[in-house]
Amino acid sequence: MSQSTARPSSSLRRPAILERNLSKGRSNEVSVAAYAFLFAEMLSYATKKSSGIQDMEKKLSDFGYRVGIRFLELIVFRERPGRRDTRLLNVLSFIHSTIWKTLFGKVADALEKGTENEDEYMISDNEPNITKFIAVPREMSQLSCGAFIGGVVEAVLDGCGFPARVSAHSTATDQFPLRTTILMKFDKTVLQRDKTFEAR
Amino acid sequence: MASNSYFVIIGTRDNPLYEAEWGPQARGEGGKKEEHKHLNQFIVHAALDVVDDLMWGTNSMYLKVVDKFNEWYISAYITASGVRFMLLHDAANTDGIRNFFQDTHELYIKTLLNPFTEINAPITSASFDTKVRALARKWL
Amino acid sequence: MLRQPRQTGDEIWKTKVDKISAELFTLTYGSVVAQLMKDHENYIEVNKHLEKMGYNIGVRLIEDFLAKSGTTKCGDFRETADTIAKIGFKIFLGISPTVTNWSADSKEFSLVLEDNPLSDFVELPEDAVTELWYSNVLCGVLRGALEMVHMQVEVAFVSDILRGDDLTEMRVKLVKYLEEEVPAGED
Repeated sequence: MSQSTARPSSSLRRPAILERNLSKGRSNEVSVAAYAFLFAEMLSYATKKSSGIQDMEKKLSDFGYRVGIRFLELIVFRERPGRRDTRLLNVLSFIHSTIWKTLFGKVADALEKGTENEDEYMISDNEPNITKFIAVPREMSQLSCGAFIGGVVEAVLDGCGFPARVSAHSTATDQFPLRTTILMKFDKTVLQRDKTFEAR
Repeated sequence: MASNSYFVIIGTRDNPLYEAEWGPQARGEGGKKEEHKHLNQFIVHAALDVVDDLMWGTNSMYLKVVDKFNEWYISAYITASGVRFMLLHDAANTDGIRNFFQDTHELYIKTLLNPFTEINAPITSASFDTKVRALARKWL
Repeated sequence: MLRQPRQTGDEIWKTKVDKISAELFTLTYGSVVAQLMKDHENYIEVNKHLEKMGYNIGVRLIEDFLAKSGTTKCGDFRETADTIAKIGFKIFLGISPTVTNWSADSKEFSLVLEDNPLSDFVELPEDAVTELWYSNVLCGVLRGALEMVHMQVEVAFVSDILRGDDLTEMRVKLVKYLEEEVPAGED
């Protein structure tokens, strides 16, 4: 099949993203299946390009990070323009509720403080909706979804000014075999700052 | 526009993503254009430290005037993902600057959503520049 | 087929399909394209990769499609085209492209996408305008899916509003009907 008959394409006629209305588009949806198929290809690409599991997780986290930064700006613009979160618990609750709801249609199932280390927090989902549909071995899909979601979370935390080391873990139970936990270990400076401002 | 202003968008690694100047000084009136530019960059850089400190004491993206240097005021704004807008101006204009920052923020989000825009990379789009300049004429 | 494809597609979309934010889909696809650009630096290569990814999706997606739609056999290629546009696109992406520009021998048609969830928010860089087919994954999906139901097709974009064209148009050409033995798909 021949390529396009080289029609002159004027840059004036190309859709101008700066003319878009950012408030619109909230109701648009696609099927979870379409998303899962795309995700599986992303996973397969990351696997092929990686030297090992850690490298693959890093790549998936990068995919998620690019999505996370953009979603953060878009969601805040729509939900509460002009406002920022400045306390750790507010940011965590924003991720657990607003971010999760926009991404996955429901709030996350748990937000907990680490029991052993006070710089650790965890957000858990009993059954991340993307994981369910991915046609790869379960452990694999859970691992990869976790890494991707971890990337999204890391981006949001970075963007808000709460840098953390983010990792994803399987916390399967009999009832929820796909349960996934995102562990966030915060920089010292973040906790110190939070304490300082709390005291004021 | 009789007053002078210098606007810069600063990425999360303290790197400039976009800059623009308006007013007689930007047009080179009174000479020493390059010198002014360096001074502007210097003033903004110093003000970033003030922003780092002030930003945790308020929930607002708009921090208003954060610093002063000779005849210059420095106003600042922080986006949801931690990108900072810094404006040097020599006339007080709290509401106009708020509107300028908010409208520019919307342009920034639209630019960022494009997958071809790299996070923390300079914004080179000509249409972005045109729009920001139009906003400056409208609000500053 | 007793029912009109459009009704079938709309009904499945409304009742049988789990849905997710289109913007998450758009931004994730954008993240994939951005990674491909990093890894390849050449738009022609990116087009190829996107098509290949689509092919891999297509060969797997067909099963889900047949199960959800209850489609058994499409009569002729015209019926196939209608099924793709009004059921296939609908139940996965929530859109129904227009089928148009049939060739005289009924072996080639166009799909015109009035709405394309892949390309929301996108503005092509100047140097990509004449080379990159941003939504090329869709070509691969059709090729892969149709191959699984014994049709060898060639699919390519001929225009895209992202390039400043009036329409976003894919051309689908039936090469031949395949015998039952079908390769299990490429890597």
